[in-house]
Amino acid sequence: MQEVEDSKTLICLPGQRICLSDESTIAGQGTYERQGYIYATVMGTVTTREKDNSRFIEVKCYGQQTIVPLTGDVVTARILQVNQRFAKCSIISIGEHILERNYRGLLRREDVRATEKDRIEMYKCFRPGDIILARILPQIELSCYQLTTAENELGVVVAVASDAGVYGAPMVPISWTDMQCPETLVKEPRKVAKIVAESTIKEEVIDK
Amino acid sequence: MSGNNLLSDQGLRLDGRRPHELRRIRCKLGVFEQPDGSAYLEQGNTKVLAAVFGPHQASQKKMNVDEVTVNCQYSMATFSTGERKNRPRGDRKSTEITMNLQKTLSAAIKTELYPRSQIDVYIEVLQADGANFAVSLNAATLALVDAGICLKEYVCACTASLSKNNTPLTDVSHLEEVSGGPTLTVAALPTSDKIAFIDTSQRFHLSQLQVVVETAQEGCRQIQKIMDEAVKKHLTEIGAAGDWSNIAK
Repeated sequence: MQEVEDSKTLICLPGQRICLSDESTIAGQGTYERQGYIYATVMGTVTTREKDNSRFIEVKCYGQQTIVPLTGDVVTARILQVNQRFAKCSIISIGEHILERNYRGLLRREDVRATEKDRIEMYKCFRPGDIILARILPQIELSCYQLTTAENELGVVVAVASDAGVYGAPMVPISWTDMQCPETLVKEPRKVAKIVAESTIKEEVIDK
Repeated sequence: MSGNNLLSDQGLRLDGRRPHELRRIRCKLGVFEQPDGSAYLEQGNTKVLAAVFGPHQASQKKMNVDEVTVNCQYSMATFSTGERKNRPRGDRKSTEITMNLQKTLSAAIKTELYPRSQIDVYIEVLQADGANFAVSLNAATLALVDAGICLKEYVCACTASLSKNNTPLTDVSHLEEVSGGPTLTVAALPTSDKIAFIDTSQRFHLSQLQVVVETAQEGCRQIQKIMDEAVKKHLTEIGAAGDWSNIAK
């Protein structure tokens, strides 16, 4: 199919055969492969993306793409409730996709950091309302997604001092374990994340 | 062996159609604002609304670790039949249709893409005039397409019957259903030529079954073409309205 160069002209429907699949033509998002052909799974426009000498055939759906958190994804979550054993949170985005519907997440005490696990105090790591970066853990039975922040790049990203109310300014990290409010200069303990570009976090996963 | 006079001497059916003719199909996608996807479909006088919510996190009871759970609710409006219906849902017939819809839709959805999630499909029959299951399934498929849920392909359903002189009839109406002809419902995946669901109301003679199944499958293929057109038109409309900018997200 040559006319895929102009994505505006070629629209496709679920179950429609798009093209042959071979080593250099790979089924991307919104498509699947069956018996040597690439088929569309959603309605939308066909686009091709070139990467490492191979073409990814993708179907861009209109509006929001529905995605589900998968093991190993880095997600942004808001802390809802903290107790001594775990923190309940709601996952608000996966990578750079903002979710329309939030998913429930659970961050257990032993998954907060990699070292000194037995000395973790949840109240000194998170407070309700904090925005955190976390990674999805493989899980078997629990009904909500299990999260971990046991990496330098993961942890609290945005937090407001607990006595500042809703309109307080976001605190500034001053160490791995402390954040300070720029206005009242109050220091509060948190599990602070080192903020890096998203691409570098993903690369580290591949190295492991 | 089948009902009386489903086909007249001139070769026309009770409502004036030819044996292989479908009833008129009209459909519209995106009829509601609140759900993630919705569709309205009328096939002759059978009119159905379908709405899809999801995929969202499944409740603990329904969660499946490997694939998505499809949750259906089939309901018939109290005014949908000739006599007022007292129970819109929950009777044996509706429960059976609900379960069948659930299984058939799961066959078309790429379920492995949404583990631990749930998709809710709500179907309301506004007017029942035969082939309720088939029309509901077609409407549900359109609603799923509108919701942007990944499908292997369309799943379309069509009914077929047999007249007294063994002529197969496509797309059975209520009148033909009640005047004694046996009804066969087939839900097919037309592109890959698979059958996802098959059901008969009465017995068919083995020598006739093949012909009737093929008639129903041919009906499915025709319906698929009509649905294709509708989806294409819908996509062009919304794409043009947003100047195709939404699409390149």
